[in-house]
Amino acid sequence: MAKESDFYQVYEVFSRRGSKAPMQHQFSLLAPNREMAMMMAQENFMRREEVIDVWVVKQNDIRKMTSEERQSMTNRLDNKQYRTTKGYGYLRQKWKEKEQGMLDEKEIMSWKEVKKK
Amino acid sequence: MYNYVEDGDSKTTAYVEHDQAKYDAFMARIEAGDKIEADDWMPEDYRQALIKLISMHGISEIMGALPEKEWVPKAPTLRRKLGIMAKVQDEMGHGQLLLRVAEDLMKPYGKTRENLMEDLLNKDLKFHNVFHMPTKTWADAGMVGWLVDGAAIISQTNMLDASYGPYQRALQRICQEEVFHAQHGESIIMALAEGNDYQRDILQESLNRWWPSLLMFFGPASAETTGSSKQDIMIKYKIRKSTNEELRQAFLSKYMPRVFSLGLTVPDETIHYDENEEKWIYKQPDWEEFKQIIRGNGPRSKERLRIREIAYENNRWVRQALATEPVGV
Repeated sequence: MAKESDFYQVYEVFSRRGSKAPMQHQFSLLAPNREMAMMMAQENFMRREEVIDVWVVKQNDIRKMTSEERQSMTNRLDNKQYRTTKGYGYLRQKWKEKEQGMLDEKEIMSWKEVKKK
Repeated sequence: MYNYVEDGDSKTTAYVEHDQAKYDAFMARIEAGDKIEADDWMPEDYRQALIKLISMHGISEIMGALPEKEWVPKAPTLRRKLGIMAKVQDEMGHGQLLLRVAEDLMKPYGKTRENLMEDLLNKDLKFHNVFHMPTKTWADAGMVGWLVDGAAIISQTNMLDASYGPYQRALQRICQEEVFHAQHGESIIMALAEGNDYQRDILQESLNRWWPSLLMFFGPASAETTGSSKQDIMIKYKIRKSTNEELRQAFLSKYMPRVFSLGLTVPDETIHYDENEEKWIYKQPDWEEFKQIIRGNGPRSKERLRIREIAYENNRWVRQALATEPVGV
């Protein structure tokens, strides 16, 4: 007979706190199948937390970065400034001279509503 | 969490021998506060110290639920019953988190959770001295939450910055839940301390009984006492920050004023804080007894292991029945 331990699979558990929150990795667990993994995920990680959604994924089905790949990620060149707003800070002063405000992230993200006609 | 082979295949490869360049890079990473993951290269003694620590911690959580669950049917009110039930469930949950972390570390040796359970039943895997002790009165249920968990919180928070990523992440979750356990214990203690003569008597009697176990909890100050100690290697590899004695001193500083404020005493008339030496002076517990207890010769060692064994055997058919995917899913 096969060893009992061969029955178990490692599942990674993810959950979402609210509809605006990203799916977040919680931890992993051992379970004999997906349904049990789902049940144990709720028992193990959601006893108190506010949770609106749960995913369980068999660990073997995840292509993770290898140790080497992760190391090289942290050693990436710090040359991404041209992709960020970092170089455009001088605009605040320019707009100020023209008596206008800067349309920064905080301002733009606040434009949820426009005036109804 | 592990990737010994490219592309996420979980096949195990043989463990890599000592390599000075890799060792230096590893030390540089942990000195810089980087977290080591399960599939990163790590020195053999680091892996072994972690396996020993985390499997012992995980199994202790599970064995610790056993003396507490005895009080679920005997809790004096519904609120207390719900509280202690939630705590017992938390302890089992902590055990599951920690065993998962230990399993990933044991993978290169081909060991699994099943092996850990066998080691436990063979007494090769030790669990915390406090969980070999009997609980006799309801005051013990409070004492376990207040001072036993208090001691555990002191030693676990000391590892919140541990260099091993998975353990450190498990500890964040565990320590947050321990706050609930500590206050659950305090609430029971407070009710007894402010209760009638009988209640105060069982509280004092409980503390007297638990006192040596609480001192022993942190382990001996040096390896000379019991012949072996992993504390130096744990500090070198930034798994924990403080020595056994530093942790015991921190425990005494945090909890002795509270013990005295409740009108309780401890069975050591010599205990006091020495202002000049800036440390607590106390009578050493019997370290020979400590050795016997953790070897599995404590007052309740056999019974608790038997409960674990019966649960494991009785539930075997459930594990086997669940081993296949349900039909129609």
